[in-house]
Amino acid sequence: MGNEVANDTARLAAFEARIARGEKIEPGDWMPDRYRKQLIRMISQHAHSEIVGMLPEGAWITRAPSLRRKMVLLAKVQDEAGHGQYLYHAAETLGATREEMLEALLDGRAKYASVFNYPTLTWADVAVIGWLVDGAAIKNQTMLAQCSYGPYSRAMVRICAEEGFHMKQGKEMCILYAQGTPEQKRMVQDAIERWWWPTLMMFGLPDDESTNSEILLRWGVKTKTNDTLRQEFVNEMVPQIQVLGLAIPDPDLYYDEASENWIYGEINWDEFWQVVKGDGPCNEERLGARRQAHEEGQWVREAVAAYAEKQISVQGEQGVPA
Amino acid sequence: MSPEMQQVLAEKLLSMADDELVLAHRNSEWTGHAPILEEDIAFTNIALDEMGHARIWYGLHQELTGIDPDEAIYFREPRAYRNARLLELPRGDWAFSLVRQYFFDVFEMVRAERLLESAYRPLAEAAAKIRPEELYHYRHTHTWLQRLGLGTDESSRRTQSAVDALWPHVFQLFEPLPGEEVLVNAGFVPESIALETAWKKIIQEALAGAGLHMPAQPAASPGGRTEHTAHLADLLAEMQGVARANPGAEW
Amino acid sequence: MGAPDTQWPRYEVFQQTRPGGRYQNVGSVHAPDPEIALQNARDVFVRRPQTVSLWVVPAGEILARTREELEKDPSWRRPAPPPAGATEKVYHVFQKRSQRRSMGYVTHSGEVRAANRDQALLRAWEQFGEGPVFVWWIVPAGAITSSEEADVASMFQPAQDKSYRLPGVYHTRTLMREAKKQQEEDKA
Repeated sequence: MGNEVANDTARLAAFEARIARGEKIEPGDWMPDRYRKQLIRMISQHAHSEIVGMLPEGAWITRAPSLRRKMVLLAKVQDEAGHGQYLYHAAETLGATREEMLEALLDGRAKYASVFNYPTLTWADVAVIGWLVDGAAIKNQTMLAQCSYGPYSRAMVRICAEEGFHMKQGKEMCILYAQGTPEQKRMVQDAIERWWWPTLMMFGLPDDESTNSEILLRWGVKTKTNDTLRQEFVNEMVPQIQVLGLAIPDPDLYYDEASENWIYGEINWDEFWQVVKGDGPCNEERLGARRQAHEEGQWVREAVAAYAEKQISVQGEQGVPA
Repeated sequence: MSPEMQQVLAEKLLSMADDELVLAHRNSEWTGHAPILEEDIAFTNIALDEMGHARIWYGLHQELTGIDPDEAIYFREPRAYRNARLLELPRGDWAFSLVRQYFFDVFEMVRAERLLESAYRPLAEAAAKIRPEELYHYRHTHTWLQRLGLGTDESSRRTQSAVDALWPHVFQLFEPLPGEEVLVNAGFVPESIALETAWKKIIQEALAGAGLHMPAQPAASPGGRTEHTAHLADLLAEMQGVARANPGAEW
Repeated sequence: MGAPDTQWPRYEVFQQTRPGGRYQNVGSVHAPDPEIALQNARDVFVRRPQTVSLWVVPAGEILARTREELEKDPSWRRPAPPPAGATEKVYHVFQKRSQRRSMGYVTHSGEVRAANRDQALLRAWEQFGEGPVFVWWIVPAGAITSSEEADVASMFQPAQDKSYRLPGVYHTRTLMREAKKQQEEDKA
């Protein structure tokens, strides 16, 4: 018993030393159970967020008001499927299976970013989601690209490269609509008012309430705290939104000269918890859509698998190596 | 080019563009809802390719008529659309959409091959660009047709149902537009009957290989592309809503 | 939930970005068979340039070892002798040799001939083991399904045309600068 404890202590020290040296932990390397479990949780939630996140914007593909916007939005939503794919792969390297992960999502047991439980009410929502929500995601993902776990880091690097256009296409639309017809300007202002606070909540709980932060920082999974990233985001976004003549729905927002920060008002964490727990405006609708797609697709997945099996047994009979 | 020929050519290009647009729109309804993640991405790619083709044909139409593509797409009534009815039908189940895409891919592949030699340079150049993409579409949907046809009893049943349901509509693809003979005689577009023969040959082999029956030739004539089902009006109402609510706005 | 779901088996994907370049592992796809695996690999990993060739390999066929694993259990240095008369086959050797951040994982280093994967690992170490190697992958050549050169146009060219997927075509900096100028003019 004493030897096991000594071994684990030594292994943990070696593991943490590797991370401190900037080495990536790869599939097959020893890792503390808590590291593995935390990463499976984080990565699968991230993957689920991408998949569920296809739906709020996906609903507008058929209603995009120009052919170019239609193609751009379709490509963006397709990227999100791709991002989910890369992330499920990263979780699979830790021993999770896609069957299990999807079952957990569709059963309602798994979490995903609550920002995707809000409805997209107008075309301008698509513009604002691109600029704000993807902008916030990029901040988070840029940080995670330095993550100590190899597969997650690599997925993040690929995602960051692709996400750039997501933010820019949204920003382009916001700039255009803010300077467009009165109706367009009103539409984008309305969208900003509905998406500003959910976007800020994307950075997670305040540092003093975030229980996992300390261990995630020590093990190189995170490199910045929630509040740090959130403040950086606010500082970048506020001046730009104001340049467009749009208002931020925060009456307490002010610029503090001393810290050079835009100080924002209280976040309504009650709303956050409601949405996280499943009582948000669209939670049921989002999961319902995913469940329906999954169930209706079952015969398809089975058919293609059955065909493959038939080929293998036919080759077996013919003495051809499978 | 005579004004009459120009008019027929413009109408032909518009019908080609409308085909791609309407089909791509239907396919995009699967994004986020496909049977498995990888296929969601793959089928969306096909939709993106088709939208790209639509953009090309609307562009060629604009060269002849001066009509802006977005103007044509968002501000035309259903009766002014020139797509084949096959493409406006609702997406149905996965087998329905897959088989429809397959039928259209074979059609586009045999046509693109012949358009490479079109005497109308813009068409030949466009075909050169489009053909590699159509080859990939064909590869994809042919692969899936086999697997669905031979996979399980359920998939075979659903795929046969899809073939049967789509068959009465498919031959409108080979119905020449009014006045199309002038384009054929000028070597601008291939003769429809040649396309139909080539298409049928490929389909016959593919269906047999996938354990499916080829239905009998429909007795009724498909009719012209000015006639649409109620589905097109629903589709366009959704597609055009935002643009029509804000005419003159730039998006 | 009803009957258990199948998400299909996994295939690892290797990408070659230019003719003669080294294949690199970029991720995996779920697929029921090699043909769909190849198509899925193209649709998942080649939405943007630049690719000239793809390989897909059933994940289970690959022998993967990290440096730490090899140090911990040295039995790989004495693999069981293969049965008499066993034929030698080609095995591709992939390695991770850098800790630099990147999108891709192990990169192709070369080939060895061996009777089985374990023997191939030993020979790979003998041939390609100079310098630090963090991860080894041994991939049987017979397990690889490759894209064909004749298909480069249909498989990989279409990605070139979809410039709307690239950030550079959205001129937000210019647009923002102009908006700022307009705001200053309006104030004046």
